Amino acid sequence: MTAALDSPTGILRDAPPTSIGRQALGQLVGKRISLASLIVVSFYVLVGLLSFTPFVKDRIDQSYSLDNAYAPPALRQTLADGSKTISPAVWFGLDFEGRSVFWRAAYGTRMALLIMVCTCAISISIGAVLGLIAGYFGGWVDDLITWLYSTVSSIPWLLLVIALAYVIQNIQMVNARPAPSWIAEFFGGSTTVILALGLTDWVGLCRLIRGEVIKLRDLDFIVACRAMGLSEGRILLRHILPNTMHIILITFSLSSVAYVQVETVLAFLGLGITSKPSWGRMIDDSKLELLRGVWWELAAATVAILVLSLALNILGDALRDALDPKLHGVK
Amino acid sequence: MPTPLLELRNLSIAFDTERGQIRPVQGVSLSIFPGQTLAVVGESGCGKSVTALSILRLIPGPPGRVLGGEVLFEGRDLLALSEKQMRAVRGKDIAMIFQEPMTSLNPVFTVGEQIVEAVQLHQNVGTREAYQIAEQAMHDVGIADPAKRVHEYPHRLSGGMRQRVMIAMALSCQPKLLIADEPTTALDVTIQAQILELLRKLQEERGMAVMLITHDLGVVAENADAVAVMYASKIVEYAAVNDLFDSPKHPYTEGLFRAIPRLGRAGGRLQAIAGTVPNPRRFPAGCKFHPRCPRMSGDALCAQKEPELREIAPGHWAACHHIENFGQKPITPPTSDAIRAKAEART
Repeated sequence: MTAALDSPTGILRDAPPTSIGRQALGQLVGKRISLASLIVVSFYVLVGLLSFTPFVKDRIDQSYSLDNAYAPPALRQTLADGSKTISPAVWFGLDFEGRSVFWRAAYGTRMALLIMVCTCAISISIGAVLGLIAGYFGGWVDDLITWLYSTVSSIPWLLLVIALAYVIQNIQMVNARPAPSWIAEFFGGSTTVILALGLTDWVGLCRLIRGEVIKLRDLDFIVACRAMGLSEGRILLRHILPNTMHIILITFSLSSVAYVQVETVLAFLGLGITSKPSWGRMIDDSKLELLRGVWWELAAATVAILVLSLALNILGDALRDALDPKLHGVK
Repeated sequence: MPTPLLELRNLSIAFDTERGQIRPVQGVSLSIFPGQTLAVVGESGCGKSVTALSILRLIPGPPGRVLGGEVLFEGRDLLALSEKQMRAVRGKDIAMIFQEPMTSLNPVFTVGEQIVEAVQLHQNVGTREAYQIAEQAMHDVGIADPAKRVHEYPHRLSGGMRQRVMIAMALSCQPKLLIADEPTTALDVTIQAQILELLRKLQEERGMAVMLITHDLGVVAENADAVAVMYASKIVEYAAVNDLFDSPKHPYTEGLFRAIPRLGRAGGRLQAIAGTVPNPRRFPAGCKFHPRCPRMSGDALCAQKEPELREIAPGHWAACHHIENFGQKPITPPTSDAIRAKAEART
């Protein structure tokens, strides 16, 4: 008889309650479009992780063409003895040095993931911490932080990013002790982009969280927490922060995509990643070759960015709905 | 004479706002004895909630601050404790439940997690044991099937259920005093009765003292041992519940009783207390109740001198200049014209 109580979302009204994470996952998988975006994002993550292996790294600078010329996308590669073999290296065509667009795009996924995760880690930590402190404690702390982010946001973002990127590049150049080689290898020259973006793009999140915290801090359940004897730090971290999680998630899904796009702009300006291939650098490389009808390098990078952006946007939206317990059981 | 569990002595609170100072609590003194229920009654804005919050030192400051007075809990002055010592008192010795059960629970955690947090904060128990205590507490407040309900999020519970959860959370650490700030105002009448009944039952079982803040005199009659009536930041009458209901001494208390509808008494309009609650920024001089008072005499005493709280009968205090005259002359509530005339005469 309990089956009759089955709610539209597939969660039994009277079923033993499950953890919030499991419920959220159930909801994500339950909707076709969010499931699709989840699969796409997982695919990108998988490709990006695989690109950390030497297998991909060895192939990004290798020439696959006998005459170093452009070759359009093809299924099979012609070898030196004239025989043909199926090889993914030529599926997306070859670039002006005969390098594989396929493998370079795969490596670009790794760069994109690195930029998205590391930049968000920096910008979200700064924005969330400052927003929480400003909103919760108010007074002169709030004034100071508000002044700080108003000042930062009064400077056009791209200009600030470019200026900061130059400064960071300079510091890296004059630094007597270069970073250990494994760090350089891991980040593949993306540290400038990560720092420049992460240190400048926290204002929006800070502002949103500050507002949300101001709304939350006088609610009864926070007063109840205090009446229960909880310390201020614990109230802030255990009760207020989780209530701002939806803002952080949305910001993550939206701004991580923006970071990949801005990387393209920086690459165009010569401030992006130079030592290793990234989508931005691929687009930058291909801008002159369009005249010769070489479209595949541009197309590979652009489509990669487009599909990832779309999937992350949809996923972020679905995630917000799924993680909000107030919406559970509501159709 | 037993020693009081909680004693407020001459407590005064001020809020410094941009438009001047507000004093929502002025010289309030009261005591609560172990196992006793003290009801604090008054209109909205008379200072009852601020008094309750100031016991736990939860007045947001700034703008709020304590001007003077003492809050003695088992002989210790809570106002002199450090913030850390105070946190050990909150929840463990004195717990509080609030008016709005809908917003008193954190929406992103299950009720079990929230009760367990309160339990583990003050008792040195493991998570499994804390959950057992939580389930027992939920069982004690009459929630059916606590083993399952403990994993529910607050939005899946009704208002009455949430208030029960709040009570379970407040009582999970066996506090000696429970401050209930209008615990039934936001609930249906039938649920109100259940919650009050539950509070009384739990109080009897545990010998806990309760400070019940309400504006509902019916609730007072059912639950309280002693009553403090507050008007405009001050206690105007303070008595055992029977004394107060049998012979109210202050004209404000009188007015409150006349404004209660009674079953079985048909016809006629209820008598409201004329006029409105004074603005705390501009309290009237003298007795704060005098512009609305039916006993207001022509001798200008009421308009000039604020009456002190005096012991009229053993254990019965009231603050009025004209208590002796009461009962000798008929009480006629002033008309609105008379009030306007008085107000104009003052300005």
